[in-house]
Amino acid sequence: MTEILAIDSLKIGFISGKHENVLLPPLNAYAYKGELIAIIGRNGIGKSTLLKTITGLQPSLGGNIFYSRKNIKDYSRMELAHRVSYISTEIVKVSNMSVYDLVALGRFPHTNWIGKIDAKNNEIIMDSIEKTGLSTLRNRFVSELSDGERQRAMIARIFAQDTDIMVMDEPTAFLDIGSKYEILHLMKNISQQNDKTIIFSTHDLHMAINQSDKIWLILADKLIEGAPEDLMIEGAFDHIFDTSTVQFNAEHGTFTFRRESRGSISVVGEGKLKHWTERAVIRAGFSLSLSKTVPQILVPNEKNSKWQFLKNDILKEFGSVYDLITYLRKEYILPG
Amino acid sequence: MQKSLKINKQIERGNIFASGKRHKLIFTGLFFLVISFLILDIFFGSVSIKASDVLKAIFADTGSNLETIVLKFRLPKAITALIVGIALSLSGLQMQTIFRNPMAGPYVLGISSGASLGVAFVILGFSANISPANLAGLGNWILIAASWAGAGIVMLLVMFISSRVKDIMTILILGIMLASGISAVVTIMQYFSNETMLKAYVIWTMGSLGNLTSSQLNVLLISVSVGVLLSLISVKMLNALLLGENYASSIGLNVRFSRVVIFACTSILAGSVTAFCGPIGFIGIAVPHIARILFRTSDHKILIPGTILTGGAVMLASDIISQLPGSESVLPVNAVTSLIGIPVVIWVILRNRKYSDLF
Repeated sequence: MTEILAIDSLKIGFISGKHENVLLPPLNAYAYKGELIAIIGRNGIGKSTLLKTITGLQPSLGGNIFYSRKNIKDYSRMELAHRVSYISTEIVKVSNMSVYDLVALGRFPHTNWIGKIDAKNNEIIMDSIEKTGLSTLRNRFVSELSDGERQRAMIARIFAQDTDIMVMDEPTAFLDIGSKYEILHLMKNISQQNDKTIIFSTHDLHMAINQSDKIWLILADKLIEGAPEDLMIEGAFDHIFDTSTVQFNAEHGTFTFRRESRGSISVVGEGKLKHWTERAVIRAGFSLSLSKTVPQILVPNEKNSKWQFLKNDILKEFGSVYDLITYLRKEYILPG
Repeated sequence: MQKSLKINKQIERGNIFASGKRHKLIFTGLFFLVISFLILDIFFGSVSIKASDVLKAIFADTGSNLETIVLKFRLPKAITALIVGIALSLSGLQMQTIFRNPMAGPYVLGISSGASLGVAFVILGFSANISPANLAGLGNWILIAASWAGAGIVMLLVMFISSRVKDIMTILILGIMLASGISAVVTIMQYFSNETMLKAYVIWTMGSLGNLTSSQLNVLLISVSVGVLLSLISVKMLNALLLGENYASSIGLNVRFSRVVIFACTSILAGSVTAFCGPIGFIGIAVPHIARILFRTSDHKILIPGTILTGGAVMLASDIISQLPGSESVLPVNAVTSLIGIPVVIWVILRNRKYSDLF
């Protein structure tokens, strides 16, 4: 399998006056056909700059980019538009532009001098609109769409552009959580069903770990690439996102607040009830323990419909998790 | 089965064809509007001429005074109005797209002022014998070229600054500053010029469609035709630029080349008109919006011909109104275009107050 995109000792950054402001050490990475690749890195580390450099919208400061083994410098603007398409974080605001017209712009590299939409182009545009679930909205103006719908329309546009590689800069930023997952689902579908490589940047580590085929993790000193699981096993994420208040959980791929424990509690029981009771206990600031010597919570079972809290042979009963947690909070004041 | 598939296909392509039909209807309507305004413009004037005499003057060779009025004054004036309307509106449309600014137009951004600076250099700078009214041949081309250059320089300046400042209102204020600065320079030039030059220049600034010699009309016609041709070539570029330069580039547009083409086109269109008719306000900014309201599209394949027809119609209408049909007095056409254009501009400002960067 040959890579369709190769980044070789690429230096990215800005030129201001005669000064080269290189953001990162030389980067190396590869992309293969049909991969969904998430770019992860701290704010301001250069994700957008990397994406712009890959798409040829910004000159590189050194190194090479190869599309199907051919250097990006040997492509004309028009040839490149046949290989790679791009969505930035900029929100498109044009009045009187219908969804259809926006998607039709994706056909720009495929139409004649005046941009005539013939039957074949029309078919591709309609396919893209259908694929992104916008069929009923195609005559609506883009300015009237919700954030999620507009992002779909932008994806329809680059889908109509019909490139092997689609680059998206934070496609799920500004979206509510439902739209976030819908957009990601759409991206995953496109990459799998249409064999497109999608390279996108995101701040949502949890989503990237669970859904992408590969992660390009940008650190201050290097770019690490691999399957999300490989990076988890290597512990690549372990400390980069940690702050004084937030901690990355390498087992679940989630973040938790860092805080001092109010003490240890063991939760006894089974299934859903045990799981959610444990969650509540952790949220309240306790750590879980299996020891028999610490205070115990017995979750409701066949014999008993209440939560029982057992400490020093004193038993208290609670009708809901809420009541239980409220009691625990009062009983155990945070140390310090 | 076959049939239902076919119907399905029709529904699928409904977008293009439904709006296509609507567009055709509006195009036809506008076309007839332009023709009727053109005829009305020839029939009305400060001298009352009977319709039958107008027809006689056009189609029969009578050699009367009326014939002179119709053929030497009214017909060229009507044609000038048509050309001016087309040129200013097209240049406004292009500027609004390339600056992504609904308030862009040759007059408000100071492009017309730039052109008038070029004209001032020629009229005030050289000799009393040069005035738009008595120029002929090469002189006309010098005047128009100076006007293009002036328009082009201001255009570059606005472009340079608007690449740094994105806010629409800031750029508007900038346009006002540029126009004021230029008028200051012109005032200084006026101060040092002699009486005849001054008179020629002041008359020119009043803006008029009726003072063109036939050789000037030819020069204007040729220049604006070149501009219109360039604008047809720029249709696809303008569509790409709707999304901004990064997106335009990402779908394969050579942004630098497109800019040169559109710049040249706008400067030629606005500069040519300003050279011979003086600065005429608010047509360039208002007409593209009227065309957008009519056609409800952002596609320049529709907007460019739409703006051409709307611009011709609006300018002819302004000229008809300026003659105050039925009376013997004539208003300056500039006043009429302002009164027509300003409400449109205010409407656009009010509509956009929520999205200060929408166009």
